[in-house]
Amino acid sequence: MKPAPFYLTITTASEYLFEAKDLRKEFDHGQIQALRGVDFHVRQGEFVAIIGPSGCGKTTLLQMLGAIDRPSSGTLYYRGNSISDLADPAAYRAREIGFIFQAFHLLPTFTALENVQIPMFETSQSAVERKQRAIDLLKTVGLAKRLGHLPAMLSGGERQRVAIARSLANNPAVLLADEPTGNLDSENARCVLELIVRLQRERNMTLLLVTHDPAVARRASRAIRMKDGRIVSDRESDLEGAEV
Amino acid sequence: MTFFTIVVRGLMRRPVRTGLTLLGISIGIAAVVALVGLSRGLDRSWAKGMKARGTDVVVSNMGSALTPKPFNASVSDRIAHLSRVAATCSSLIDLTSVETAQMMIVSGRQWNGFTWQNLKLVSGRMPHDPDEPAVVLGQVTADTLKKKVGDRIQIETSDLSVVGIINGGAWVENSSVILSLPLLQKITGNQGKINIIDIRVTPGTNQKDVEGLCEQINRLVPEARAMPGSANVSNSEVYRILQAMSWGTSLLATLVGVLGVMNTMLMAVSERKQEISILLALGWRRRRIISMVLWESGLLGLFGGVTGVMIGAVGVQILGTTPAIRDLLRPDVSMGLLAISVTIAVAVGVLSGLYPAWRSSRLPPALALQG
Repeated sequence: MKPAPFYLTITTASEYLFEAKDLRKEFDHGQIQALRGVDFHVRQGEFVAIIGPSGCGKTTLLQMLGAIDRPSSGTLYYRGNSISDLADPAAYRAREIGFIFQAFHLLPTFTALENVQIPMFETSQSAVERKQRAIDLLKTVGLAKRLGHLPAMLSGGERQRVAIARSLANNPAVLLADEPTGNLDSENARCVLELIVRLQRERNMTLLLVTHDPAVARRASRAIRMKDGRIVSDRESDLEGAEV
Repeated sequence: MTFFTIVVRGLMRRPVRTGLTLLGISIGIAAVVALVGLSRGLDRSWAKGMKARGTDVVVSNMGSALTPKPFNASVSDRIAHLSRVAATCSSLIDLTSVETAQMMIVSGRQWNGFTWQNLKLVSGRMPHDPDEPAVVLGQVTADTLKKKVGDRIQIETSDLSVVGIINGGAWVENSSVILSLPLLQKITGNQGKINIIDIRVTPGTNQKDVEGLCEQINRLVPEARAMPGSANVSNSEVYRILQAMSWGTSLLATLVGVLGVMNTMLMAVSERKQEISILLALGWRRRRIISMVLWESGLLGLFGGVTGVMIGAVGVQILGTTPAIRDLLRPDVSMGLLAISVTIAVAVGVLSGLYPAWRSSRLPPALALQG
């Protein structure tokens, strides 16, 4: 087993990449219960779709997994380390996690090439190395000719591909995608989903993808269905690998 | 792309707002440069004048008026016999409008006193005797009044002739109308009165002895105050008021600058809440966000400061040519003052960015997933 990086304080060997135990999240002093006791685990390299209607707690769960919010109670482990207790959550987000957002969330005053470099500022790469890696990643997502374009000059599909390249900037172990095709037309949605799935397989990353679209969820190896802050089903997808 | 690119891009996002903030800081810093430059110019010009005259100690009564209060001319006799006093020279100095000049130094000097000795004739001659109705003009005064040897000049109600143009070796001397003490006393109705005694000390007298002599004179002459020549103007009440006004106005301008930059940075941070949250979600540490905001506000200060010192340096030169100032002093805008002003501007920028930086670093990264 590789030694744990500096931001993972406990070097416990774990069978699971993620493991949630009785995870709860409340807002407004308990008036809103976004998560009501969630238990699950995810293995390295899995493609897990988290599916359910709006307000069921999917995005809240994704925030916990990405260490951008903390549970009210319960524990969420990453490689055996409690995410809430990480010594440096920013380093965890920068190096272990790649985020893909529904609304792309590219910085509007930066070109595609510059947007992809943004997460790399938390690594020790030089400016030249950052630029070269960003070029390589944009080539990987098919945007070699769009390097100098601002987000406003790109189509929705292209913007999401820039966001995908950005999510891969620091070669993360995990991709967290929040409705990545939600703002795209069907053709672009299909292309973007194909790209994410291909990259996940090629790089043996773990992918957790939030969606309310059953068709998208069918591409996953496993689907966790949520409702009212609880997991109502968790099973291997019957249609793994099928075209959307 | 470097971190600096990100910082600059943040500033260029709203060029008009950034430009207006820069203008605000620039005006504040220009005010600092101009006001401090003028008050330092007064101090410097006076000290240089003292040095040119060979004055080691000045006895005067610098109250709140622009010129020292007159006292009895016999005071000079009480001082002259003190040890370490090599020579004394009594004067009556007046600041008054002379023909087209709104304010001019008119200096009536004890006939044959040592303060005449540093005056080098550029043209014409010195007055023949203390009663001759004649003046000599410093070069700057002659230029200002457009006078040459042989012209007439009116002081108060007296019509005098210009008999010489002199170079006194200092701005104050060259910006004066110089005549004999008895003549000025007569013109201004101050017979038997003087308001300045210049003292030259004996060779070998050190600074400590000069201070000791001043204390001795102050005990002996309660109606006036002695102090080393170079410190004379900076100890005057007028100069202190001028200094306080300069720094007070500068402080106010700086405070306005702080509020301006803080407002701009708060607006910038408020507008970019989601962007900052995205950066946090992508793994940027909070201290990098703080650093980004502080660099932005610091750069605003730097650019504002550089622009401000340029405006201030040019402005103070223009101000120095105005009739009210040109004959009194030469503004002193040194590299040191410019460097201090830019440093103040950068400090203003960084200081103003502290609160916005702290606020931005407290933003929740979860905001990135909303909307």
